[in-house]
Amino acid sequence: MRNPFKKDRMIGKARQKRQYDLPLNKSSGTGFLILLICLMTFLAMLALAASFALSAMTERWSSGLENKVTVEIPAEKPDGTIYAPENIKSQTARAYEVLSTHPSVVSAHVMTDEEIRDLVRPWLGEDLPLGKVPLPGLISVELNDSTLKTVKILETKLQDINEKARIDTHEEWLSHLLRFTGALQFAAALLTVIIGITTVTAVAGGVRSRMAVHNAEVELLHLMGASDNYISRQFQRHSLIMAFQGALGGIGIGGIALMTIGWISGEMGVSLLPDFTLGAVQIAMLAALPVLVALIATLTARQTVLKVLAQMP
Amino acid sequence: MIRFEHVGLRYGIGPEVLSDINFALEPGSFHFLTGPSGAGKTSLLSLMYLGRHPTRGLITMFGQNTGGLTRKQLVPLRQRIGVVFQDFRLLGHMSAFDNVALPLRIQGKSEKEIGNNVHELLEWVGLGDHMHVLPSTMSGGQQQRVAIARAVITRPRLLLADEPTGNLDDEIGYRLMNLFEQLNRMGTTILIATHDHALIEKFGHTKLILDGGGLTVEQSTHWLAKKIEGVF
Ligand SMILES: Nc1ncnc2c1ncn2[C@@H]1O[C@H](COP(=O)(O)OP(=O)(O)OP(=O)(O)O)[C@@H](O)[C@H]1O
Ligand SMILES: [Mg+2]
Repeated sequence: MRNPFKKDRMIGKARQKRQYDLPLNKSSGTGFLILLICLMTFLAMLALAASFALSAMTERWSSGLENKVTVEIPAEKPDGTIYAPENIKSQTARAYEVLSTHPSVVSAHVMTDEEIRDLVRPWLGEDLPLGKVPLPGLISVELNDSTLKTVKILETKLQDINEKARIDTHEEWLSHLLRFTGALQFAAALLTVIIGITTVTAVAGGVRSRMAVHNAEVELLHLMGASDNYISRQFQRHSLIMAFQGALGGIGIGGIALMTIGWISGEMGVSLLPDFTLGAVQIAMLAALPVLVALIATLTARQTVLKVLAQMP
Repeated sequence: MIRFEHVGLRYGIGPEVLSDINFALEPGSFHFLTGPSGAGKTSLLSLMYLGRHPTRGLITMFGQNTGGLTRKQLVPLRQRIGVVFQDFRLLGHMSAFDNVALPLRIQGKSEKEIGNNVHELLEWVGLGDHMHVLPSTMSGGQQQRVAIARAVITRPRLLLADEPTGNLDDEIGYRLMNLFEQLNRMGTTILIATHDHALIEKFGHTKLILDGGGLTVEQSTHWLAKKIEGVF
């Protein structure tokens, strides 16, 4: 038979397991801080991932466009009338001739009507009435030297064939794009800093209120000859565990969110969206986020405790 | 070893609770501290356990002028002092065992050493079967014994006890006084604040009497009697 008094005898019994010197794990507000750190880690992870994706994108674009230019033989004459498609074809062929014999040109490729239509389709729509719109001649060219001087020389040569022929170096477009992605990256970095400050403030506030709640116990440890380090370790350990829990939660949710975004953008095949596949190094950096968050929380707790203890005699 | 010179203490902008206190405790001595309630016994002890700074005067502890020490230098001094607080100040979330073990853990002793010493001492003060009980479920006298055990577990050089026998019946009270006497014989300097005149008479150590902010020293008649006995 079970002893009915067994439970009663347990009342008032401390757990045999050694307790912290301060009952920090039982104080209220811990759950809230864990949640906050979870959220902050999640946001930091998204901001970081976005910044990684942006830098990957600009890298790919700018390296892909370097030394590449596009020669346009417009269908329109200077007086506003339109060349016949055959004229455009022959002008483009002559331009190709000139380009492929020039020493600065590595390779040149005359785009077919099909390719040109593919290029403009995203902007003009699927059912483009063929033949109605005069298509220009386009030649994509790779140079071994894309300085302005070379481009100008080539352009002058081509203008002998077609007065309005011009060379598009993508430079203006690219510099706009780089400025835009740069601004986005700055915003992401700023967001990360704000997240960091918020976390530090919240942890410091939490530690302060916990120290106020346990003031009598802290003072007792101090009077028994506990060094500031000893007392601060109590709070550091608590902050470390708390931050780690929160950060792991945050990174878990963030991982799921990133995978979902990656899946959606892959599914939609949106080529204009940045690529969300991250490299191994970047994934490792994201995974190290909880360690960083825990470190920040621990150091913050330490600084806060030492500052409060300095007030004691 | 411990010397107070022209020490004064006031709380905030209040009147001086202690004014111009002068005395010295020799190493290995045993003193009682008495005086009416509110005379400043607890305040005087708090100066000795380095819980606050005096508003004026010079305090020398273990040969060091405490006014000239940094916070860090005060830590090892505090570790040489055991204190029984008037209100015990036990940690409520910890068992009696862990409360008594705390000063040893602070001093970085091994768990094995802690286990042996704490068990032995708790048995000795009659709390052998209350080791893993929380203070909140103990009687006042039991809590007081935990507080005393915690103060002596490190074998301090100086023991300060504030009304340590207030809640105890005579038998256990004398038993604990004997513990203090034993510690004293092993070299610990002892100062006990108490109202209990019977106790003072029985043990007859030198009295420090606080009244009206001042302190007077009164050699015990007991001590004189012993001296006289020796002479004749
Ligand atoms: N923390 C404090 N802040 C302000 N005043 C205090 C404080 N502690 C004590 N006092 C005042 O100092 C005076 C002496 O108090 P203290 O506790 O030292 O007396 P005591 O001799 O220990 O009394 P008792 O025998 O009742 O314990 C009292 O008037 C008290 O009001
Ligand atoms: Mg008192």
